[in-house]
Amino acid sequence: MLLKSGAYNNVFKKRLLEIASDAEDIFTVTPKKSIRINTLKAEKEEIVKKLSDYIIEEMPWYEHGLWVRDEISKTIEHHLGYFYIQEAASMLSAIVLSPSKHEFIVDMCAAPGSKTTQMAMMMDGEGVIIANDVNSKRIKALAHNVQRGGAKNVIITNYDARYMPAMEADKILLDAPCTASGKIMYENVQKKWNYNRIRIMSRKQKQLMKTAYRLLRKEGEMVYSTCSLEPEENEEVIDFAIRELGMETLPFKIEGIKMREAITSWREKEFDDSIKNCRRVWPQDNGTEGFFICKLKKF
Amino acid sequence: MQIKKILNEEEIEKIKSMIQKNYGTIPEIEKAFLTSDDRIWLTSKDINFSIFDILKRCYRIGIYFGRLKRNDKIKLSMEGAIIVGKNATRNVALVDDENAMKFLRGEDINEYEEMECEKHNFIIVKRGNDTIGVGILRDGYIENLVPKARRINF
Repeated sequence: MLLKSGAYNNVFKKRLLEIASDAEDIFTVTPKKSIRINTLKAEKEEIVKKLSDYIIEEMPWYEHGLWVRDEISKTIEHHLGYFYIQEAASMLSAIVLSPSKHEFIVDMCAAPGSKTTQMAMMMDGEGVIIANDVNSKRIKALAHNVQRGGAKNVIITNYDARYMPAMEADKILLDAPCTASGKIMYENVQKKWNYNRIRIMSRKQKQLMKTAYRLLRKEGEMVYSTCSLEPEENEEVIDFAIRELGMETLPFKIEGIKMREAITSWREKEFDDSIKNCRRVWPQDNGTEGFFICKLKKF
Repeated sequence: MQIKKILNEEEIEKIKSMIQKNYGTIPEIEKAFLTSDDRIWLTSKDINFSIFDILKRCYRIGIYFGRLKRNDKIKLSMEGAIIVGKNATRNVALVDDENAMKFLRGEDINEYEEMECEKHNFIIVKRGNDTIGVGILRDGYIENLVPKARRINF
């Protein structure tokens, strides 16, 4: 069923109301501007001091995240890579993956590089991150951000992630391409929303999940995340990883942010019960964009 | 990305000594390689270059540090300058906020304070503790070397 532009008005809302009774509140949210401090370039205290005129408050769930005023992009500190303008919920993927120094990480769909540079910082510029993206235009932005972030442990590759060559990663981040319906409060996302895109994305996400499984070493862990609120792009993909690939979900907890359990059924589909370990971040709960996140292990 | 040469310890020491001679500080360089255009790139010591036998579609490795020039000089990139600039003691020019903005817009500047600068030589430009780029000290002004892609437009 192909729904024309504007269909989000009826169908999207109806779908979301089936998942959360307060889903309509999404449209009242204006996500707050947030940054992530880059400790590869300077000490946190030093950066916070320099940016004191722009900082509203520290993010309760991440020591390097700050809520800030809009004008912060036009500062020398931004230009020098002391911080990265990054949506607050999107910082969660790397936090949950928790890469360590000297690990071998694959970021399958990395552009424009917010999570790649966040992981590089968490690894203190050590270890290896393969930051891949298929889009040659977006890869330039990725390269620019990696350079600006001073992330010397990053190798940028340009593959269709579904066909990446074999390797044995300790950890994988699959922040999958999606319909971005977690950003539905923005007009450009509303215009693009249609059911057909959800089906196309879901199919692609499962293919990417299959590749992630292939690239991950035994006992390795991965994070799957999207900025979509659609069950077909989230729980359904995790259900595929569990049933078809034999992966297991892992529980995780982050203090200071409200996250809701993922759903275990959607319309006629019943998902694996361990999908409860996955989390949904709803915009109305924290003033962020919507996000889905799941931690998985390969056995 | 075409790697011309993975630098051995001796070659890395040579680069460090070039930096020390010009800026009075020895930067921390663990692993580096050269591309065919004599650009120096820094990587994490954990990167094993044999991985490129598998990764054929490699776009970029590590960060661009600077370019080897004649007379044992290195034209530092912005990130190279930030790494070196932290502890540089000579060939440094200090500028105020207004001139820092001008410099980052790509303009030459003529108001600065010199720290043991040698004329017609590469210098690091700093605003307080912040390294904002590199230039060449000319007669009475600093020639701007901030690449177009790294200039600000505000």
